[in-house]
Amino acid sequence: MKGLLLKDLYMMRKYCRFTFIVAIFFIGISFLNTSNLLFIFYPCMLCGMVPVTLISYDEHSKWLQYSQTMPYTKAQIVSGKYLIGLFMQIAVILLVGIAQVIRMNIYGSFVLSEFLVLMMLLLILSSVSSSICLPFMFRFGVEKGRIAYYFMIGMVCAGSVLSSSLLSSKLQATIRPNGILPIICLVGIGIYALSWYMSIVLYKKREI
Amino acid sequence: MNALEIKKLKRSFSGFCLDNIDLTLPSGCIMGLIGENGAGKSTTIKLILDILHKDGGTVTILGRDNGKDISLIKEDIGVVMDDIGIPECLNAKQVGKIMKHTFRNWDGEEYARLLKKLSLPDDKPFKDFSRGMKMKLGIAVAMSHGAKLLLLDEPTSGLDPVVRDEVVDMFYEFTRDEDHSILISSHIVSDLEKLCDYIAFLHKGKLLICEEKDALLSEYGIIHCTVEQLSEMKDIKYKKETPYGAEVIISRKDAPDGFKLSPISIEELFVFMVKEAN
Repeated sequence: MKGLLLKDLYMMRKYCRFTFIVAIFFIGISFLNTSNLLFIFYPCMLCGMVPVTLISYDEHSKWLQYSQTMPYTKAQIVSGKYLIGLFMQIAVILLVGIAQVIRMNIYGSFVLSEFLVLMMLLLILSSVSSSICLPFMFRFGVEKGRIAYYFMIGMVCAGSVLSSSLLSSKLQATIRPNGILPIICLVGIGIYALSWYMSIVLYKKREI
Repeated sequence: MNALEIKKLKRSFSGFCLDNIDLTLPSGCIMGLIGENGAGKSTTIKLILDILHKDGGTVTILGRDNGKDISLIKEDIGVVMDDIGIPECLNAKQVGKIMKHTFRNWDGEEYARLLKKLSLPDDKPFKDFSRGMKMKLGIAVAMSHGAKLLLLDEPTSGLDPVVRDEVVDMFYEFTRDEDHSILISSHIVSDLEKLCDYIAFLHKGKLLICEEKDALLSEYGIIHCTVEQLSEMKDIKYKKETPYGAEVIISRKDAPDGFKLSPISIEELFVFMVKEAN
């Protein structure tokens, strides 16, 4: 398993540089524009989709087939990608979180409850985006799995618009960190775990 | 112990069926799997590795069923696929580090020795390698983790004659240890003829023959004759008629008197068998 993760780290260093630059650029923009949460959600979504990029390169280089000639189980191959996804999501959420704490303090608008709501929304959106894509990618390959990718992009855009209006409306009063959001947050984590399990089951059925 | 035993192996696809394959590769031997493109060579190797699911039959690798703990069995198998499968951005040094964390018995010194022997740079990305260099790197990986069985799918295709000879020598060296065995597929029959102890012919998913190479070569001979002479001959194994005469493959014991019986090559035997099967 360590070998799989190391290989993915080498590949991320080469192929995901642009993704990281764009993510940091959007985090920078989010300092200036607070009305549209797309600038905060987009880097999370981008980094959450790093495993999809890696699978795409794996498929192109026939690594998926080659890795099956090695002492790895299909569950380990799938888990490697989910662990990379998890690591990327946590890293980017932390980065966005730090950036938002600094921004809110600079403008004197730091409200803990609002910050926590934002973090939970980020966690849900970034985990759900890859949760939707990965099982399709593992079952049908990158080309067919791309349909799920487009669906997910639309969902994130709609999600960011909806979240912006939620956070700026009176409904904000009803969305408290100690209210329904932690439950939704847990559901998000549950969806990621379910997606992980489904990908293992589906990938076991796939023949490359 | 046999390195590989395949019994009644079956797998169907739409338009192709690998049909009841029976193969036995004794330890310390090299078996050549010969077949034209689409004959089922790669499918057979994928079924051995459980990359494809079989419809029926059994595969025993180094005494263990491939349906159980295949990932453990793979510690003892070195594989070179036709497409290699190494990501293009990686260099040989990075590949070595990845494999160190992949195989329990990874031998970094042996890997470095093979890279040097095969003149492979360790800092050049895989995408900048020639086809021959890519194949050599795949072979170096397969031979650096103490594998007892090598499964090689077209490993010599795309290699120039000098490198091919070098690689063939490495395979010879590998099987000096009587616990080491190789199953090698190719449609370049001349390579296999030099290398193999056993020959298996696959044609359209069917196993036409699986025998010791020397037994095959000593059993059959080829006679060049006229079409009229051909019509008088009996016990012909395979025949080919051309506008200039006929060629007949016949068992040495059945060869008629008065004809010169020439030695046959594996390539000739394969071509005759396939044409007959068509």
